[in-house]
Order: sequence, then C-alpha cells, then structure tokens
Amino acid sequence: MLSRVADSLYWMSRYMERSDGILRMLKINYASSQDDLQDFSWDSVLKLFTPTEEERARLLVDEGRWALHFMVCERENPNAVVNIVTKARENARSVQDHITKELWQCLNDFYHSVRDGGLAKSLYKEDPITILDTLVKQGLLFVGTGDITMARGEGFAFMNIGRFLERAILTADILDVKISDMGFSNDDSDDTTYWKYMLLSISGYELYLKTYRSGFEAKKVVEQIVLNNNFPRSILYSINRLHRYFEQLKTEGNSENYRKVDFLIGKIKSKVRYSTVDSIMQQGLHSYLKEVKSELYIIGNTLNQQFFAYS
Amino acid sequence: MYTNELLAAYVNDPDTWDEMYKYPEVREQYRGVVDFMQQLSIEELNRKEEQARRLFMSQGITFTVYNSGEGIEKIFPFDIIPRIITSSEWNYIEKGIRQRLKALNLFLKDVYNEQFIIKDGLVPAEMIYSCPHFLREMHACPVPYDIYVHIAGIDLIRNNDGTFYILEDNLRTPSGVSYMLENREITKRIFPDLLPKNNVRSVMEYPTLLHRNLVSMSPRQTAYPTIVLLTPGVYNSAYFEHTTLARLMGVELVEGRDLVVDNHRVYMKTTGGLQQVDVIYRRVDDEFLDPLVFNTGSLLGVGGLMSAYRKGNVAIVNAVGNGVADDKAIYTYVPSMIRYYLNEEPILKNVPTYQLGNIDEREHVFANMNQMVIKKTNESGGYGMLMGNAATEEEMEIYKKEIVKDPRQFIAQPIISLSSAPCYLNGQLQPRRIDLRPYALAGPEGIEIVPGGLTRVALREGSMVVNSSQGGGSKDTWVLFD
Repeated sequence: MLSRVADSLYWMSRYMERSDGILRMLKINYASSQDDLQDFSWDSVLKLFTPTEEERARLLVDEGRWALHFMVCERENPNAVVNIVTKARENARSVQDHITKELWQCLNDFYHSVRDGGLAKSLYKEDPITILDTLVKQGLLFVGTGDITMARGEGFAFMNIGRFLERAILTADILDVKISDMGFSNDDSDDTTYWKYMLLSISGYELYLKTYRSGFEAKKVVEQIVLNNNFPRSILYSINRLHRYFEQLKTEGNSENYRKVDFLIGKIKSKVRYSTVDSIMQQGLHSYLKEVKSELYIIGNTLNQQFFAYS
Repeated sequence: MYTNELLAAYVNDPDTWDEMYKYPEVREQYRGVVDFMQQLSIEELNRKEEQARRLFMSQGITFTVYNSGEGIEKIFPFDIIPRIITSSEWNYIEKGIRQRLKALNLFLKDVYNEQFIIKDGLVPAEMIYSCPHFLREMHACPVPYDIYVHIAGIDLIRNNDGTFYILEDNLRTPSGVSYMLENREITKRIFPDLLPKNNVRSVMEYPTLLHRNLVSMSPRQTAYPTIVLLTPGVYNSAYFEHTTLARLMGVELVEGRDLVVDNHRVYMKTTGGLQQVDVIYRRVDDEFLDPLVFNTGSLLGVGGLMSAYRKGNVAIVNAVGNGVADDKAIYTYVPSMIRYYLNEEPILKNVPTYQLGNIDEREHVFANMNQMVIKKTNESGGYGMLMGNAATEEEMEIYKKEIVKDPRQFIAQPIISLSSAPCYLNGQLQPRRIDLRPYALAGPEGIEIVPGGLTRVALREGSMVVNSSQGGGSKDTWVLFD
C-alpha cells in the first residue's frame, strides 16, 4: 500500500472518531445545561477544542446555543465538526480507490449534511439534541459501513489504528479536563449529576451502574474510564485494540519500522495495564494522564516517520 | 405536430439535423423514449431531474470550485433525456474511427522514427517541427507493440444533412469517459426498465478492456504487473474520473510524489518499501511528466521518468509526444495520412480547414470571418476560440493581427451547424446542439470501441459550444442493437 494512502486512511479515521467524540460530548453537555446543574458550564468543552483563551471568554458570556454553533458550524474554528468532517472527507477523497464506494458515499453524504446551510439555523431554532443525534448517526453509519464492506487488510488496519489512537487520546483529554474542572479530590463524591453526565458523554453510564451498583465516586469513574477493558471507550481498551490492529501490519519487509512502533505501543500498554486506580491516584490523575497522552503522541509521530513518510 | 405539452415547444431549426425529430414525426429510434416520457407528468420528470442531481452529489461526482478559500462542490450539468444512435450509424462511426486511429498511430510511429511522410512530401517538415507538442525526446524511442495511442477520444459532429464529421482527434489524455459510465448508471436509477426495453448496448466493458490492454503493455514478464494511474491530484477537475477508473480497474491511484526513479526503474513508495511500477496510465500532460526533461518546475511528475521510459523499463499510456498528431494544424493532413499509410479512402470526413499560413486561404478567411470559427492550434477545451458569428469587430481585429503575426498558431473552419437533440428544460423538451465523443482503445489485439460515448450538449439556447468550460452539459449516450 502506498504510504500516502496509508496516511490518508489513518487520518480519515482519526477525524471521524474525533467528530464522533465531539458530537457526543456536545449533545450531553447541552442536555445537562437543561438540568438544574449548579455549576454548569461550557468551559470544559471549549477548553478542549478552542484555540485561544480570548475566544473562549467571548463564547462563555454568550448563551449555550452559541457554544454549540461555534463547535458545530463555525468555519473559523478548526475543531468545529464541519471542519473535522471536511478534513475526513478530503482524506477519503484522495483514497477513494482504497475504500469501498459505499463507505465513500456515506462519508460524502455526511459532509454534505454538515455543510448544509440549514444546519446552523435548525441548531439554533429547533431541538439541538435531535439535530446532534442525526449527525451522530451518520458517523455511526460510517463505522458500520466500514465494518461491513471494507476488505480486511492493511488499509482496514490503518483505519483502525487511527480510530483507536484518536479514541485513547480523546478519552484521556475528556477525563483530564472534566475532572480538573471539578477541582477533583479523592473523597469528593457528592455531585452525582455531574458524574452521570460525564459518563453519558462517553456512553459509559449504563456500564457504570451495572458494574458498581452504588453511588457515584470519582475513583470508580476513573477506574472505569482508564482501566475497564470491557468499556469500549476506556484508555486500556483503546490501546489494546490499537495494538491488535497494529500487529496485523507485520510483514517480512518492514521488520525495522514495525519493531520501533511495536515497542512504543507495548510500553504504553503495559503501563496502563499494570496501573491500579490507587497507583493512579497516588501519582495524581493529571500527571498520570499527561504521561499517557505524551506517549500516545509519540506513537503518532513514530507511525508518521516509519510508515507514512513519502514526501 | 404533437399536442402534448412536453413536445409543444419543440421547434427545430429546419436547417439543422435533429436527432429526434424529422418532419413531421419523431424518428423511429426515439419513439420508445418519447412515448415513455409522455406518460410522465411534469412533476415526475422534475423529480427525476432532482434525483439525478442528488445521485451525482452523493457519489461525489463533482468538481470543486475554489472561491475565497471555501471549496464549493459543483456537478457537471446532466440532461436526463438520452441521446440515441442507431446501429447502422454506429457501425459507420466505428469503422471510420478505427481507420482513422490506425492511420494516426502509424503517423506517430513514422514521425518519431524514419519520417517517410516528410520525405515523401505529404506533410511539410516545418509543420511538424513547429508544433510545440512534437518532442525530440521521443525520437527512436521504442514503445511496446508500436502503439502510441492506447486511448483516443475522437470528437464527432453532424452537419445539417446528418453527415458525421471529425471535429478533433484527442490523442493525449482524453477525459470524460467516467461520465459515459456514470451517466448510464444514473439513467438506470432514474428510468427503471427503460434501458432493457429499448435494446441499448452496454458500456460496462470499458474498464475491463482498458485494464487488459494496460496489462499487456508491461515490460516485465510477470503474471501481475504493477499498474498505476498517475493523477495530478485532488485539485484537478478530472480527479473524480481518475478515482473512478482506478477503482473500476483495481489499479493503484498515484501522484508524482508517490513515485521515485532509481537506476532507470520507476518505483512507488509503499508502507512495505519500494515497489517497481510496470505500466503508468498517466493523466498528467507531457510537459509535466519529468522535470528533468520538460517543465523543470513541475511537481506533478517524477524526475527520471523519461530515462526509464526510453530504456523500456516502464510503459507510459498514452505514449509521450502524441500531441503532434492531434494538433489542429496537422488535422488537415489526416485524410492524406489515411490514403498514404492505409491506401484507403477516409470514411469519416474532416471539417474543411483553412491553413492561415497560405495567403489565399487567409484572404478568404478574413473576407468571410463572420462565418468562420478561428481556433488556436495548441489549445483545447473550448479555450482560444473565436466564433465569427458572435464576435465583435474589435475581437476580430485582434485575432487578425495575431494571425498575421504567427499564422501557424491558428486555423479557421466554416461554422458547422451542429445537430440538435432534445433536452428537458423548464418542463419541456427543447432542441440543443450536441457532439459525440466515443472512446477507442488500442491494444495488441486491435482497436475496440465501446458502444457509447460522451454526448456533450450546449445547454444555452443557440450556442454551438459544447465544452463544459463554456456552459456545456452531458447526456447518456445510447447505441441500439440491430
């Protein structure tokens, strides 16, 4: 497979995963803004995806709908869903012969719907949850179409490497921002609504109820989001998947490049796998997540050097 | 006349050949389609039109117009009414194109090798050497099976008596074939069952034939040669076509930056290291192919490609330097080439063409400029064209001055009144001017032409210019069985 093609498949998938993460978070954040949450704020979301402090300050004085508009439709915001999906589609466009026609059409339709002029208006006037839901579904259709139609091979592996690397980073980011937002401390566990929405935004609420059957506790939330291998958005699960798809790339011709990246993935995998929630707390959650993220970034850069370098 | 509102406004110019209508009735080949359309209401037809538009959009059969940094997706206008060609018309076209292509290919072999045609005085040497597309780099360069033109998109038009004329021989990187294929797919969707009921021949075979020919060009004797389609990249207006063809043939779509030449061999950069390339179906123009030989600033090609090509380590499709054969001034000599190389009379006619280097012809053209179309010899796509009937005095003066300065750059032809075909516009059928570009494929086993092609249509009323850059659209093109 051409290095350029691998690169584009990887980024197409990363951007699609990112758009999914953003859309879910926006939906739940909006939903929670309708509840009587004492200290509700768009601040944590904007902190993750807004380039400048001034921009954030400006948006925060406005009402929530503007934050939504900014995160979905604002062309000037590089992390707005419209721009993320456009980037995914541009990557897909240059590798149309490597993805199935169904997958291309699915992404292309998504692209046309996020660029539809009516979207901004209905986001402002109608129920944002309905609108965000239809967008989330288009993203799900992309994942499902890929799963059902794409041939299993190098291309599919690169797509999944992109997806799970992005997911691990996104989860670490969300956890980091949301918890520091709370002024997190070990025994602070009273604000159940906050935890509920936090878990909902990464589709982990139901699993939490089933696993812990008791009230909300920051420590348990951290345990599920970082270490639960049955939770598809946990850091551990994402890294395990990342490794599994990466292992499919091994051939006789690329042992040197392969070894370098494999080493890095193995290292982070062990680090997370042999952490416990107590050891994380001891180190400090923020410092732990910072280390995890920095190692994930290094994996991204090394993949770039070893597999995608072509120009 | 028809009382039905669909046909009520169908007034065709009596001095024009209409594909559908021959006073006082609809031609036989169109009856099935016209009857079918008449059963549909205007609302239904409008819905079909909208459905076609959405299908093009959703499949990304679009080109991007960059305005103020924001890309806007546009589709090439598509008219839902098919253009229909009878089997006897097609047989004639097919025979004519086959003959012409054979002669043009022999001409290319000749001018890049022994040049008998110059020595025998049929084509003046200055005509060849002054052509910017004549490339000395191709002299005595061996090409597999002596095939230069693997893919030709020869443009045909019809005069007011229905005679077919050759308008242009496109022998470099003719485009539009994806529209032949996609327009047919759209017709299948918007008019279910209409195609089988009308005995329409399929065009589906095109990618398979092309792929088979590409494989046979491979210089390495291997069961699975590496074939690539070289595209200028996503910003090219034909990018959609490149991806479609790559997908339909299952070959790798590459850009110049994906390739590298080492020791006169071409490789592509893959995740598993370098992989040798055997055949390049390029959609990049000659001058951008190799910055070491041609345009030194080009990033679209690969340095060293020409040396690998001349050594015979890679096949390039179409061959380099074909522009000398589809040059608009060389065009005049094609009928004599057919007689010279094949000892046959040309089947398809040339449009009468005036060489402006000849004083008498130039005088004649200047005196009758309002009935002439002036074309620049080295431009295509409807650029650099002056339609005498629509030009102002000033425009004509500017052209006259330029012609006198460098007559080799121009040719003149009488304006041919292109044939018209029905288009669905504003709830009615209206006649609009059309041309036809069938796609011919040449391989070791001969020349094959898929029954169909691209019909381009001038959607503006009265316009004779069908190029997409000048407001043209396209139609599905049907060739019927006997």
